[in-house]
Amino acid sequence: MDDRQRFGEVVLPHLDDALSLARWLTGSITDAEDVVQEACVRAYAAIATEKSNPRAWLLAIVRNTAFTWLAKNRPKAVLVTDDEGLFERAGLEMIDRSHDATPEAVLIAKVDAEQLHRAIAALPIAYREPLVLREIEGLSYQEISSVMSIPIGTVMSRLARARALLIQRIGMVGKGKAGAA
Amino acid sequence: MNKPPSWTSREESLLLLNAYLDNELDAASVLDVERRMGSDAALKAEFARLGELRNALSTHVGKERASDALRQRIADIAGPSNARVAPRPRARPSARSFDWRQMAAAAVVAASLASVGTYVGLQQTASNGEIAEIVAGHQRALLATSPFDVASSDRHTVKPWFDGKLAVSPQIVDLAETGFPLVGGRVDVVDGHPVPTVVYKRREHVISLTAVPKPGSKDEGGPPTHTTRDGYSLLVWPGRDFSYAAVSDVAASELEEFVARWRSGATGK
Repeated sequence: MDDRQRFGEVVLPHLDDALSLARWLTGSITDAEDVVQEACVRAYAAIATEKSNPRAWLLAIVRNTAFTWLAKNRPKAVLVTDDEGLFERAGLEMIDRSHDATPEAVLIAKVDAEQLHRAIAALPIAYREPLVLREIEGLSYQEISSVMSIPIGTVMSRLARARALLIQRIGMVGKGKAGAA
Repeated sequence: MNKPPSWTSREESLLLLNAYLDNELDAASVLDVERRMGSDAALKAEFARLGELRNALSTHVGKERASDALRQRIADIAGPSNARVAPRPRARPSARSFDWRQMAAAAVVAASLASVGTYVGLQQTASNGEIAEIVAGHQRALLATSPFDVASSDRHTVKPWFDGKLAVSPQIVDLAETGFPLVGGRVDVVDGHPVPTVVYKRREHVISLTAVPKPGSKDEGGPPTHTTRDGYSLLVWPGRDFSYAAVSDVAASELEEFVARWRSGATGK
């Protein structure tokens, strides 16, 4: 099989996955298209290195391309500062949440798409990435570990923190609503 | 499962709970989690929240669909298709950051599977320009209200702070017993990229330890490079995956002592 056929079998079937990851890393669909296109150029050049898991292999190239792109075009994105206070609390104290910020499960079920998208976008990228790989791409911990080049223990703690942050934020929004009503 | 020794049993329960939700646990751990939930109502409530969050995510956040135009452009990477030669539409006329031909050429030379850290600094030791920026970062920090962004004498606080901010974290060595207490961390910018700086004190003097990512680098034990700039002493040496630069206005001999102790702490010798 020549490189062109391999590219067709290994890369093309996973473009939606590649685009979804790039969209959540860069924050916009147009930037994501740029990143995916560049990642596919890299993937084609490296097509011989793909062994057994085309999707995880391609996603690793996409995330590395996205980070190079971010470093160049959005140097501040690596330093997500959307909600420092929220991040500090959850990052440093992990889960020791004050009870008033912890929403009931029923409230989480009522969150709307826009709130949820905003909450994900506000996550520090170090937490947003494993969350997207798990919840949107459906990768296993092992695959996330290999895509992000981090140990499985780190995958676990980042995922736990990502979810804790989302829940906390949904709780804050919900509470704000209740206050306004 | 590799877990840091600093986890409390509460944190451990929550990590297990997430792994349980993700079907990543072996049978024995599943039993353990179910047993913990059985006796801990708060944990059970947390699991209900995590379950609702997962439902909400699958309801509201879907996959993107690649447009036909994008598919065609990407199929063309492997050589123009014989079906048709698709035009290469420029989606936006605005300033684009990629030069595709250059990218393709670079990709052929090396398909770089670089991690986030690798964009900074490729030389073994800091360049002149980097040294100037590192010293400037130290000077700015001294002028600011506080020379650090996160204040903590606990490396288990500072390390995750960097990890969350920059997704990279340098080695952090506790030297309090030898008179160089850790006081915090901040982010400096070197060569256009954010890099971690760990802040120590020597009496009332501030020592800034800036770590410029250099993947694959390691401490070979050679003597640090000594430079003086704007009245500050600066010692540079290679460490594991970072090039380290210590800047301070303490006596040069004290800065050397700091670096020697830090390196022996970092390499566990």
